[in-house]
Amino acid sequence: MPTDRGTPVLRARGLVKRFPGVRALAGVDLDLHPGRVHALVGENGAGKSTLIKVLTGVHGRDGGELELDGRPAGFATPAEAQRAGLATIYQEVDLLPLLSVARNLFLGREPRWFGLIDFPRMHREAAEALGEYGVHVDVRRPLGDLSMGARQMVALARAVSARARVVIMDEPTSSLEPREVHTLFEVIGRLRGRGIAVVYVSHRLDELYEVCDDVTVLRDGHAVHSGPLAGLERLRLIALMLGRDMSEVAREGATTFAGAHDVAGGAPALTAEALTARHRLRGVSLDIRPGEVVGLGGLLGSGRTETARAVAGDLALEEGRVAVAGLPVRGRGTAAAIRAGISLLPEDRKHEGIVPGLSVRENIALAAMPRLSRFGLVSERRVDRVVSTFMERLRIKATGPSQKVEELSGGNQQKVLLARWLALNPAVLLLDEPTRGIDVGAKAEVQRLVDELAEDGLGVLLISSDLEELVEGADRVVVLKDGAVVGELSGASVTEDALVDAIARGEASPVVRDRSDGGAGAAPEEEVER
Amino acid sequence: MQHDPQETEPRRPRPALAAAAAAAAVLLAVTACARTEEDASEDDGGGGGGEGQEQVLDEAAAGDETCTLDEYGGEGFDLTDVRVGFSQSEAESNPFRITETQSIVDEAEERGVDLITSNAQSDFAQQINDVQDLMSQGAEVLIIAPLNSDGWKPVLDEAAAEDIPIITVDRAINGTACEDFVTFIGSDFVEQGRRAADQMIDALDGEGEVAVLLGAAGNNVTTERTEGFQERIEAEAPGIEIVFEQSGDFTREGGQSVTEQLVQSEPDIDGIYAQNDEMGIGAVTALNGAGKESGEVSIVTVDGTEEAVQHIVDGWIHGVVESNPRFGPLAFEAAESFGAGEEVGTELIITDRAYDPSNAEEELPHAY
Amino acid sequence: MSAASVMARVDRDRARSWLQDYGVYVGVAAIVLFNVVFTPGFVSLENFRVQAVQAAPIVVVALGMALVIATGGIDLSVGAVMALSAAFVSLYLGYGPLVSVLVALLVGAVAGAVNGTIVAVAGVQAIIVTLAMMIAGRGLALVLVPQLEGIRNPALREFGSGSVAGVPYVVWVAALMVALVLFLVRRTLFGRRLVAVGGNRRAAELSGLPVRRTLLLVYTLCGALAAVAGVMTTARLQASDPNSVGLLIELSAITAVVVGGTPLSGGRVRVAGTVAGAILMQLLVATLIKHNLPPSWTQMAQTAVIIAAVYVARERGRS
Repeated sequence: MPTDRGTPVLRARGLVKRFPGVRALAGVDLDLHPGRVHALVGENGAGKSTLIKVLTGVHGRDGGELELDGRPAGFATPAEAQRAGLATIYQEVDLLPLLSVARNLFLGREPRWFGLIDFPRMHREAAEALGEYGVHVDVRRPLGDLSMGARQMVALARAVSARARVVIMDEPTSSLEPREVHTLFEVIGRLRGRGIAVVYVSHRLDELYEVCDDVTVLRDGHAVHSGPLAGLERLRLIALMLGRDMSEVAREGATTFAGAHDVAGGAPALTAEALTARHRLRGVSLDIRPGEVVGLGGLLGSGRTETARAVAGDLALEEGRVAVAGLPVRGRGTAAAIRAGISLLPEDRKHEGIVPGLSVRENIALAAMPRLSRFGLVSERRVDRVVSTFMERLRIKATGPSQKVEELSGGNQQKVLLARWLALNPAVLLLDEPTRGIDVGAKAEVQRLVDELAEDGLGVLLISSDLEELVEGADRVVVLKDGAVVGELSGASVTEDALVDAIARGEASPVVRDRSDGGAGAAPEEEVER
Repeated sequence: MQHDPQETEPRRPRPALAAAAAAAAVLLAVTACARTEEDASEDDGGGGGGEGQEQVLDEAAAGDETCTLDEYGGEGFDLTDVRVGFSQSEAESNPFRITETQSIVDEAEERGVDLITSNAQSDFAQQINDVQDLMSQGAEVLIIAPLNSDGWKPVLDEAAAEDIPIITVDRAINGTACEDFVTFIGSDFVEQGRRAADQMIDALDGEGEVAVLLGAAGNNVTTERTEGFQERIEAEAPGIEIVFEQSGDFTREGGQSVTEQLVQSEPDIDGIYAQNDEMGIGAVTALNGAGKESGEVSIVTVDGTEEAVQHIVDGWIHGVVESNPRFGPLAFEAAESFGAGEEVGTELIITDRAYDPSNAEEELPHAY
Repeated sequence: MSAASVMARVDRDRARSWLQDYGVYVGVAAIVLFNVVFTPGFVSLENFRVQAVQAAPIVVVALGMALVIATGGIDLSVGAVMALSAAFVSLYLGYGPLVSVLVALLVGAVAGAVNGTIVAVAGVQAIIVTLAMMIAGRGLALVLVPQLEGIRNPALREFGSGSVAGVPYVVWVAALMVALVLFLVRRTLFGRRLVAVGGNRRAAELSGLPVRRTLLLVYTLCGALAAVAGVMTTARLQASDPNSVGLLIELSAITAVVVGGTPLSGGRVRVAGTVAGAILMQLLVATLIKHNLPPSWTQMAQTAVIIAAVYVARERGRS
């Protein structure tokens, strides 16, 4: 493979994109070459979606250069990018389900016959075009009748017009059956043959190695690695994604976790058995003893968040049992889990956590309100007491309990949410990315608090993409892949190296795909858009 | 450009039944049938009541032009041999429409005419469809109470192609008489306004301050009834001043609310001209509530419903100018003459009756 | 952005937030002041009575609307529910005034519960569900009572036009409803839940709140309150008129709610502001009528108020 592949069709230099409070892209370089498939990988929030959106004109850029065929370029709108030959196929297929397949395919560029749509010709050409993508259907039927996979192919066929130079695919296989994945790969092969540059975004490493030529790894808005994929070890790729051996590992100093906890014996605080949910979880079992912090490891989409949601009654299960202190959770739904003593601090603070219009006080008391009420009447005195207790204990910085929660910093909002859950006096606390997007000081405080809570005898489940946090915070780490447990580290073996190794081993010996249930791959976690 | 209706209520959505709510409500409604007759309101009179109050043509107001079978085209017919189609524009939910439809149906029965009917529920597109349906069901004569005056061209052409005579009632269709349609039978709303003014002048002896409760804004009935009233007051009674004009939307509630405000800002008002009975009755309720005695304020209204006429008897309303909805006899008479090859006037304006304290009691059974 | 311009923006946000919360009272004060100075006979007990009586149904409907809007929903069917309740008062009068009123209220609650069930369980958008109910409800009312029916019941008549302690019954009832809704919002679990559901439904779900039950209850309450307004109007009119009762009241009610400081996006509810908003709408109409201005002015004035309120309430710049 020649190292010099001539002029890239699309070249990005030092792309910067800022969102209020975050730098989503901090100077990213990217070269796309004709006839090569370029993988774009990274953990949640690394900047993949942002990069694509900046390339295709959805977002404006705050810095950096773009060159198309060596000439400066830049697209103000997606339409402009499309005209220049950049075709994008998003996860959510944006077609019109009620129109026919052929109409969808030719929407806006229908073959005309004296000003009218030439239906026979359109149908013939549509059938031919789709045939190339392995889709053989009656093109006069409404698109909505087709399977998701076939619809994706229509979207692909529509996007890849004759003029397409670059085709960008964002998680194209997430809703496809294995057979359809195979067809897609054939299509990608054909695009490559036509000299089109393909960008392939996926967290399924197996697929990347099967179909991609080059790879760019994004982390925290930086391109931390770029080069040919062949020869890049799987283990090293994972390490790059997780950022273990970056020179700046020690960036914010060590975590504030104190070390191992005194784990009490007796009944586990939490027992989860054989949690199974279609496409998401495949028989996950784990238990947490009182005073223990159990970490969940794995890559994006491995089922970490789903496991927490399943335990908290927020994910409908086909199978599986959850018990707290040996007593099965009775009933379904989040209310039942909360009654049983399970609290979940969700991953997405803004959309699943705070109620923006309400005060700090109301936000803290939200889940505990029934316990602070009698006969449906709220006892303001008891609410005040609980709120002031937790504001003090968590050192929440606000002008007072009546300040609106949306006016607080991210870290203080997170503490308000922690207070909401601690006010329930739970036996089990599930923390999904508890320190993401908060400042260093708040991060340290949250980590210290996790220690304290464990010492108080709570069972804690910790999910974090920050390996350091996971390794130092957890007494034990359960590793997930594709919605199943693939390994466990405990005691002295909880180290970053061992963890990366365990994750990689899980990836390296992929569980054989269960073809019958439509690609048992984990459901995609949606990239958090900031 | 829409010539809006004979007054009636403001537009409202078409009735349609939604499953669940309806089911629960219907259940209640069925059990409610047990109510006693006395408790049902006394103004149930509604449909078809007041027999014998046929419309009378106003010879002076009618146009001079006439139409015959020869000019219009087609063959002669005997009414009893043909099928007649009637297209009603609005739901039969107010006395005017109820009486209008009933009058057509009754007259057809009387004459032994085969009548088919439809109701467009205030939906103009629906009325166009209705008329086409009537034709496809074999109607050879059409009586139409149009929702709009415009927009009829396609249907008229279709009817003309088959030489189907069309008679429009209560509202005109814009088109060429004796080409697009045979005749229009209706009231003169300006004249109704003038006659209401006469009654007001009579009640106040030509002196005083008067308030007008207007109908729905943008409605030609409102405009014409206002025009006639103002014209006559200016000409005949310079001593009467119109000090207040507000819309009551042709509803009782509207008449009541506006009058309540009126009584506060113009406590010495002498007369109220309500452009329909409903608003007039609302005004009565408002005056009653404000502690006025019957007759203290002279009310004149237009329509001639039973309840309004009853209020004359009770002394609350001074006079009512009728707007007669009983188009059946005249419409069929016109159709019959036309079918027999006789001349028919292309614009037949009817004489509307008037009720006042001198005749209200004896005429009451004839009000609709 | 420079520090100065940031500060300017903060000040603007504060000003707007103040206007959103208290602008309605300024509006009411201004229109009252105008009338005191320019409208003869405005300052009289009898006039206050008239304004209060006419505002009462709008206030009651707006209260229910405020609760629904606080959950992030909307109820377009309130006018139709008023018509339904008017129809049922007339249908059931044979069983006595009390029974007929209770049945009317029950029907209103049932109609609201149907809205609530479809919104909460089936997850259909509130605007679609209640639009369907708006059409179906009035349609059904007209099927049941095709034309205006006079109500000659002395008890209902007394309720519609009588007073106790110098205050009309309908105003007492409206005041009672205000107190009830204030109590619900300020003191009960239900009150806390409804704003949480409106503020962040997902967070409410994850916090174990009975989101569906809360929505169901809110729409039921809104229906019942609309039925109360329907009974009031029927009693005052001394007639059941499903054709015109409550026509377009949803617009006045939504305006009152928004003008009163409850954002259309939900997440908070202002009861006192809503009452003031309803009074503002009433006084606006009354002022124009009293000064005999053309009816089209009323519509324009209402439009101006809505635009002003929506402008003030529009989402403050996302941080």
